[in-house]
Amino acid sequence: MLRAADVEFSYGLTPVLRGVSLEVPAGSVTGILGPNGSGKTTMLKVLAGTLKPSAGSVSVDGVDLSRLPRRAVARRMAVVPQETHLAFDYTVLEVALMGRYPHLGAFEIEGPADVAIAREALAATGTAGFEDRPFGTLSGGEKQRVIIAAALAQLTGAADGGSFLLLDEPTAALDLAYQLEVSTLLRRLQRDRPVTIVVSTHDLNFAAGLCGSLVLLSAGRVLAAGGTADVLTPGNVRALYGVEADVRRHERAGHLVVVPVARAAGGAER
Amino acid sequence: MNPPVRRRLLVALGGFGALAAAAIVLAPLAGSTSIDLRRALNPSLPFADNVDAQIFFVARLPRTLAGALVGAALAAAGVVFQGLLRNPLATPFTLGVSAGAALGAMLVITTGWTAAWSGLPAIPLASFAGSTGAVAIVYALARARHGGLSTHVLLLAGVTLNAFFSALILFVQYFADYADLYRMLRWLVGDLDVASYQPIAAAAPLLAVAFGVFAWLARPLNLLSLGPDAAGTRGIDVRTAQRAAFFSASVATGAAVSVAGPIGFVGIIIPHLVRLMVGADHRIVLPSSALFGAAFLVGCDVVARTLMPPVEVPVGVITAILGGPFFLWLLVRRG
Amino acid sequence: MGILTGLGARGSGLGSSGIGVWGRSGQALVVLAALLAVSIATAQERPARIISLIPAVTEMLFAIGAGGSVVAVSSFDTYPPQVRDLERVGALLDPDLERILALKPDLVAIYASQTDLARQLERAGIATYEYRHGGLKDVLTTIRGLGARVSRGQEAARAAAEIDAGLDRIRRRVDGRPRPKTLLVFGREALAIRGVYASGGAGFLNDMLIAAGGENVFADVRRESVQAASELILARRPEVILELRAEGLPGDRRRAEIDVWRRLSSVPAVRANRVYFIADPRTVVPGPRVVEGTELIARALHPEAFE
Repeated sequence: MLRAADVEFSYGLTPVLRGVSLEVPAGSVTGILGPNGSGKTTMLKVLAGTLKPSAGSVSVDGVDLSRLPRRAVARRMAVVPQETHLAFDYTVLEVALMGRYPHLGAFEIEGPADVAIAREALAATGTAGFEDRPFGTLSGGEKQRVIIAAALAQLTGAADGGSFLLLDEPTAALDLAYQLEVSTLLRRLQRDRPVTIVVSTHDLNFAAGLCGSLVLLSAGRVLAAGGTADVLTPGNVRALYGVEADVRRHERAGHLVVVPVARAAGGAER
Repeated sequence: MNPPVRRRLLVALGGFGALAAAAIVLAPLAGSTSIDLRRALNPSLPFADNVDAQIFFVARLPRTLAGALVGAALAAAGVVFQGLLRNPLATPFTLGVSAGAALGAMLVITTGWTAAWSGLPAIPLASFAGSTGAVAIVYALARARHGGLSTHVLLLAGVTLNAFFSALILFVQYFADYADLYRMLRWLVGDLDVASYQPIAAAAPLLAVAFGVFAWLARPLNLLSLGPDAAGTRGIDVRTAQRAAFFSASVATGAAVSVAGPIGFVGIIIPHLVRLMVGADHRIVLPSSALFGAAFLVGCDVVARTLMPPVEVPVGVITAILGGPFFLWLLVRRG
Repeated sequence: MGILTGLGARGSGLGSSGIGVWGRSGQALVVLAALLAVSIATAQERPARIISLIPAVTEMLFAIGAGGSVVAVSSFDTYPPQVRDLERVGALLDPDLERILALKPDLVAIYASQTDLARQLERAGIATYEYRHGGLKDVLTTIRGLGARVSRGQEAARAAAEIDAGLDRIRRRVDGRPRPKTLLVFGREALAIRGVYASGGAGFLNDMLIAAGGENVFADVRRESVQAASELILARRPEVILELRAEGLPGDRRRAEIDVWRRLSSVPAVRANRVYFIADPRTVVPGPRVVEGTELIARALHPEAFE
């Protein structure tokens, strides 16, 4: 279980997170939702341990994240950033293999088992055919899937307690087809493996389709948290985005959808 | 299709190692004078009488060893700086190390300060001191508030320092007399004719430490190319890795420049050529670049001293003639 | 007055006619006019305010008696002692045009390579003398040329002749003696055999060496300077190494600098202990004191000839 308690964080003098507490139950797919500037990406980075909160703490299974050795954390928690820019021409397999580094000793080189894990991860994300291609020659969606594969390779062999996959705006740079693909992929992964997924996104429908629980962030504070159906209400949407929206269940898609209708009178509380 | 890293590493080390070894063994046999090798290697002849032996052991061998060390240091430092700054166009001189070294050397040449220290003459000492000063300034400027190291600010600080120190160098040159000026300009193109094992012995420990750190840095550099955040989530201590990369590469560059002056293009041609041959994995690129850099510079030096005897072309000119067009081709290819 | 009386006397011999009276004073007037014209012309040609950017030229000017007209010199001038009180106007790389113009010179001696300065002075209407660096012969040519320029042709010819004679004296002293192969070094990194600059087989240092009874180890290199790598020095095996410097060194540093050559122990000059330092500006300024400079070199090469 991943828990944040009263987390505060500022960039310089600008406060971004003003006391956020949330709980990510093991095995769930949790979405952190909010408009731009609400602090979702920052919150994700704090959860991943990339940023240290100025107040409050993050704990994994009860142990404070800052106390755990980095490599140990990396073996259980992997982050997929919004975009990945490589400075050099690594092949897809090399990128996937980089996920295995937290499992290697100081000067150890990955062995056949690691290569097999990486290949399996690529297959799981449908990118096995790109193995020898330079990463930079792939499309945005393909790159995203390779990075997810690398994250999977990173989490394979995690000790008990399960692993965590954190994704920052995974669909922001992708078109509709790829959005659907990533969504389907993540759902399948969560079904097949004991992985807890946390996704930060501003895309309400994507979150509704993927996540079982949601945390709504507004101006650095938690507006609402809980099961998707309970949290994703027109009232909350109005409070979060200042938009009158229709929230209903879509039969064919199989999940809630949010359709914006009009600007709310009086604007949102920011 | 993708052979495992271990095998590729061994093949690369074997190939480049053989190249470097061949260069080091063959280079002292070449020169502007023809010598009798049997006489040179004859231990029964007194050294003080044996001109062939002196040419071999005093003139050519130190020069070859210096070329190998400097070439290896500059090429490897180039790889590390490129990895640290996540920019394939970075060179060992981007962050101002060589400008600091040059300023130190210029000041000594103009003021005629000649104190030696444990047998090491003034110019190499001053140039190393200058490079250390430059590194300290750049580091102090680039330290971010949370103790991290902003590579963006690092690059800006380095470029600014380069410009500032270059202005100071021009200032010093303006007040120098004609002879000093000429000497300064010659220092700036580099010179491997050390004629002594002392500078090599002085630089070797520093380079050994730097290379040791490089070995540890290979994997972190792979991860750093994903960006500092992504690298951190894969388990490396980004701050430590960045600092280690910055200081080890700066020490290697500073030591190399104090031995032979700022020889350009080695630090950028070699990493690129090696990547074209072995791929981007730093665990293979770093040692391969060091070995290839050694072979390359030793080769350039042989060309430099045998092209137009008895006049020696400065080795920096040879590396530039080979490097300039190569660099253009690289840029065109990338575009 | 005597001339007029003489003319008058001759004139009276022709008889006291009107022409004779007119002739006497007329002739006197013509002579007077001619004398006046000559002295005016000479005064115009002889510069009164000379600036010299070249130390060698400064020395030459003083040697031919034009020292009194020198109003400013270069930043590097040190001889003769009178220049210490003179204004400085920069040198080859940094001539101070403003200061030069402010001093209102009528002749400025500049390096031939200072083409920008030459153009600026020409625009300002100031005459220039262009100096070209050359061999020993050119020192004499320059003195004579300078002499003509400042209307001291006779003094210049005398100075040139003295230099010639002095050099000949040295040549005769060392004549017949074996010429040692000499490495004439005029620049080197401190305490290291690096960046060694030696005289090639051309130029004024080489000429001095030959006049002093030596043979240049780089006689075959048709250049004024050679950057000698250690391999080259070892291969050429000089019998004497002469290091020329403008300033002297304290004793222990001098010894340390000479000891540095021991690294090339197979060089005959090192084995025979014939590594000398000559710290004297007279060896590096191609001016009137070249004779003294050449003698210093000759004394190092052939000490027995000067007993």
